[in-house]
Amino acid sequence: MVTIGIPKGMFFYEYGSIWEDFFENLGFKVVVSKDTNRTIMDYGLKCCSNETCLPVKAFHGHMLSLKDTVDYVFIPRYHSTRKNEYTCPKICGLPDMAAVNLGGRLRILEAKINMDSQVKETKESIIRMARTLKIEPSKVLSEFNRVWKKHLDTKMDQAENKKSSKSRSGKKDAILLLGHPYVIYDEYLSMRLIKKLNNRYIDVFTPKDIDYETKRHNAFPYQGKTFWDIGFDLLGSAFTCAEDERVKGIVYLTPFACGLDAFIMEFIELQIKARNRNIPLLKLTVDEHTGEAGFDTRIEAFIDMIG
Amino acid sequence: MKITFPHMGNMYVPIKVLLDTAGIQYVMPPLNTKETMELGVVNSPEFACMPFKTILGDLIYGLRNGADFILFGGGSGQCRFGYYGDLLSEIIKNLDYDVKFVCLETTNITIKGVLEKISPLTKGKSRTDLIKGILYAARTVFLVDALTRLAGYTRCRELHKGDTDRIISKFQSSVQEVYGYKAIINVIKSTRKKLRGIPVDRKKKTLKVAIVGEIYAASHPGINFEVEKKLGNMGVEVHNHLSVSKWIFNHFIRNNLPFKTKDRFVVAGREFINTDDIGGHGIQTVGASIMCAKRKYDGVIQVYPFTCMPEIIAQSVLVEVQKKYGIPIMTLIIDEMTGEEGCMTRLEAFVDMIEMRKSKSLEFTQSGYETVAKNL
Repeated sequence: MVTIGIPKGMFFYEYGSIWEDFFENLGFKVVVSKDTNRTIMDYGLKCCSNETCLPVKAFHGHMLSLKDTVDYVFIPRYHSTRKNEYTCPKICGLPDMAAVNLGGRLRILEAKINMDSQVKETKESIIRMARTLKIEPSKVLSEFNRVWKKHLDTKMDQAENKKSSKSRSGKKDAILLLGHPYVIYDEYLSMRLIKKLNNRYIDVFTPKDIDYETKRHNAFPYQGKTFWDIGFDLLGSAFTCAEDERVKGIVYLTPFACGLDAFIMEFIELQIKARNRNIPLLKLTVDEHTGEAGFDTRIEAFIDMIG
Repeated sequence: MKITFPHMGNMYVPIKVLLDTAGIQYVMPPLNTKETMELGVVNSPEFACMPFKTILGDLIYGLRNGADFILFGGGSGQCRFGYYGDLLSEIIKNLDYDVKFVCLETTNITIKGVLEKISPLTKGKSRTDLIKGILYAARTVFLVDALTRLAGYTRCRELHKGDTDRIISKFQSSVQEVYGYKAIINVIKSTRKKLRGIPVDRKKKTLKVAIVGEIYAASHPGINFEVEKKLGNMGVEVHNHLSVSKWIFNHFIRNNLPFKTKDRFVVAGREFINTDDIGGHGIQTVGASIMCAKRKYDGVIQVYPFTCMPEIIAQSVLVEVQKKYGIPIMTLIIDEMTGEEGCMTRLEAFVDMIEMRKSKSLEFTQSGYETVAKNL
């Protein structure tokens, strides 16, 4: 049986479950790499150029860790996820980068996801993938349509239940944690930030907890124009929470030299200032050299400050 | 209404032609100064890319010197350029300048929409002047780029060091002093004549190096430490594959042709990158490097601003291009902290290296290169 490996990095935190579902339903064995750890990180650091950002380096590590156990490593190429919502160039060039950096040590399976302008391209690339795997293209296509619909559905309603459960949890303060999903939900890269905050009796809101329509609506003034899906999410979450009395502070976790965050962070900062809401914003930058102690000190100081 | 605009390479010449002809008043920021860059760096986000910072610096300089109108064209796709207009206007609004900021969207662009947006500028001006200005400016772009290419040819071959640089710096100052299309064309023509009159060694075997990378960093001497000039003075013939005229040709002429042709650099880049667009000039960088290797260039220099996302992908791919095609490629990453001397040292070392490589026997260099490539 053909085994497909899915690296636990980058897209995994948003789309991992649908791809697992997708391949399992098509009758393949799916192997997901382990949580990020020191070994995986070191693998990644070795094969990437210095300028590459931390999550991409970690992703390379995940791929290498799968090298002996799988036949193919699956890397989707997200070009755009919805109308006008594009992704970071690095996510779009990920399969190429991987192919070059890992130099033929792995067989890469790619699928191009372009939902904005050329849905045709998505279809073509899915068909190409089906040929590589030697299965019926129509079956793969219908399977893809099913999981993609499932993805959109969960995206729409997952948040509802969560937020209500959080508001019942009885903790009094809340912090909004912003950042790319593959940084804030990765326990190694984020140094267990969410747990650390929870241990201090603080609720943590992340972009996932706020429902989709509200986010899109509140991302004003860039509504209908912003083209990074993540930028949309983050702007929307920040402005939604800026209205919420329980949210006492915003923590923005960003990997060093992230191009998207540089701009999004500035928008958020300027807009919150313009709305006269006195909400403190902590920018935390991480890279592979960040020490955990220094990181903790900054968080503690921030928590003390917001009282 | 007074308009101000940011610099990009030689673009100020055609922009000046356009504004002079249309009779619009403007403030032109000084060319390549530290002050404007400082202004930009202070007011931009830390990890914004270098073009953003210099553009912001130029605009703030213009506003401080009496401008009250900014026209800016945003991009689309995945590169951060698409956000430039919004973020610039936001930052400038926060600095409390009294300014009208108009951002043109390059997606869904219509002529009527553009004219409506710039109406405060063109009020009371004749429409024919505006159209004339655009046509004149388009012609000037190509003339100026041709002049730069000619200077690139003479600089590495001149018999008396410094002739070309003197003429070019004279050109830059006098083009800013004169007014109107005719006068500017005259300056260009006389400069061309002077450049052609420089005594050169036509038979000299020069090293050929191509510059690829991010268009702003590669074509704006203000932030790339005049890399073309430096290399030229070391006796290297520089071919810059990113010029504004090419960009205009690609975006306004090629895209509007009834038949679709593909950029040959993109076609070449497809060898390593399995998609048509990764934002910015990422694929063109890879494609141009491959083409240069095939045309027996001696080396390629990739220039990009720190944190430029598409070029980082290209950089990883270029390692593979080096191995496969056996062409030395150096990456020069620029930000406001980069020191000129360090950059100079790297360029000198690179030129020395390709010179030695050329003079040694092919066999030796190939085996030597492979060991280097393995260690990368």
